[in-house]
Amino acid sequence: MTAVAIAGRGLACALGLDLASAVAALRTGAGVPQKRLLRGGLGGEFPYCAIPLREPHWNRRAREIVMRVAEEAGARNAVDGVLFVATSSYDIGAAENTAEDAALGDYPSFADRLRGWLGWRGPVYLINTGCTSGLNALLAAHALLSGHEAEEALVLGVELENRLTLTGFAAMQLLSRSACKPFGAHRDGLVLGEAVAALRLSARAGSRWQLMGGASLVDGSQPTGQSGPAIVDMYQRALSASGFAASGVDLIKVQAAGGITSDRTEAEALRESFARVPALVSLKAALGHAMGASGVAEVALLSACLECGAWPTYSDAVDTGLGVELAVAPPAGVRRLLATILGFGGSHATVAIECR
Amino acid sequence: MPVKTFVVTSQWDTALPEDWRARLTRLLGERPRRLDLWAELGLFGALSCLEGAGEASLPGDAVIMVTSRRGTHTSTRAAMAQMEHDLPMPLTFLQSQPNQLLAHLAARTHWRGYACFLGGTSRLNSLYLAAQLAGSGGVLFGELDDTDGAVTRWLRLRPCHTDRGDLIDVAPEALFSTELSCLGIGAGGLVGC
Repeated sequence: MTAVAIAGRGLACALGLDLASAVAALRTGAGVPQKRLLRGGLGGEFPYCAIPLREPHWNRRAREIVMRVAEEAGARNAVDGVLFVATSSYDIGAAENTAEDAALGDYPSFADRLRGWLGWRGPVYLINTGCTSGLNALLAAHALLSGHEAEEALVLGVELENRLTLTGFAAMQLLSRSACKPFGAHRDGLVLGEAVAALRLSARAGSRWQLMGGASLVDGSQPTGQSGPAIVDMYQRALSASGFAASGVDLIKVQAAGGITSDRTEAEALRESFARVPALVSLKAALGHAMGASGVAEVALLSACLECGAWPTYSDAVDTGLGVELAVAPPAGVRRLLATILGFGGSHATVAIECR
Repeated sequence: MPVKTFVVTSQWDTALPEDWRARLTRLLGERPRRLDLWAELGLFGALSCLEGAGEASLPGDAVIMVTSRRGTHTSTRAAMAQMEHDLPMPLTFLQSQPNQLLAHLAARTHWRGYACFLGGTSRLNSLYLAAQLAGSGGVLFGELDDTDGAVTRWLRLRPCHTDRGDLIDVAPEALFSTELSCLGIGAGGLVGC
């Protein structure tokens, strides 16, 4: 259980182009999702949490957002370290606007572009485990820093708008047509969003926020969803890895993306994992589900919220049948928290964070 | 150079045999269903490698690391073509997600653990990260592409301690083509015997 400092953070999301703007918008309830119209029999209008930056050229927009977020996180102090890029969609948004086949799925080219934008001199890893990409990147960075293999790392979640992700989720009938209602009585699906987020991890800088490790599990029993036993196993392994006692966890940032079945599975697993379920919070209604960037984005936003007392609100009452509740205000004295992302592809991940 | 050392218990880098799909069916115990070519290639290579190591599953603290230059390019292109006229087919969209292979591999080996897909990361860096993440169960490492000729190369590595002084430098390009019995993996490169 080696602590690694979260020495910097940055965020661009539907709530704003930097962390301070995002926290301010969260307080006032701003950042209402936009609408996206999809063609086809299962198409129609869907809410979408877009970053409020207009620029028609995908790469120019991506460059501006990535550089702003990296700067906010203090990336210039880490350019000789390791860069982990967490994404499930890479630059597909750019490829959708060109007929060139070569533009699609050329990962080294995408990595080189990011390296150039950031002036990065150290190694670059592109991690894609779907929705859990960001947390898996954090765990990988933690392994290198706690093993004294590196002193600095930047974990960058990049999930920018593209039609493939939106239409794919619509085709799987996983999207809400109204709003994200985490653990809600009237929940009817996910709302997708875009985010670019960065966490700078350091073995030499100090910080009140320390990454203590965690656990990530792939379970093949539910390739398109999440598995209750895998969630329970994930929490057990994360507690063991971090040295946290189950009774000592003050807060869990849950997935709770508003899926009818998935929220129920998650709630049941929480009750099984914790004799007394800790305070729970979901950021999905505020940010949308930003896929591979969601883990990094939600850790950045949650830690900032806990520092200043900002807290998300929910439009729907919690489903009493789930047997869990969402905290309506920041719990006092949070010292140990878990941040969880569950995704399809049987991926389950949580990271343990300590506030000192 | 600090290295983590492993015994190479199995390698799979054979040219794809003509009857590979029949052999995949034998490995799976049934005809593959709902898989695209990329995932079929991945399952074929991974299960063949595990069979070579005499393993039907992996220890819970093993790491599966898969790397690819272009990943699920073919299925992604197919999904994008479908969405020109309508929503993509759900199965095609799922097949465009590389982590679906990880789930299928976990299901087929009745395993639950840490598995990760790295896009376009160098062979040395990918192996190095896998070595840092691996527990006592070691690593199942794969390289996979379905464009520009099918590639499915796999290594099964189990951790070991060695004080042998005769480890020699191994070029990353020679990783799969050499009859390595042990492999040391560090940030600066590979050594082996």
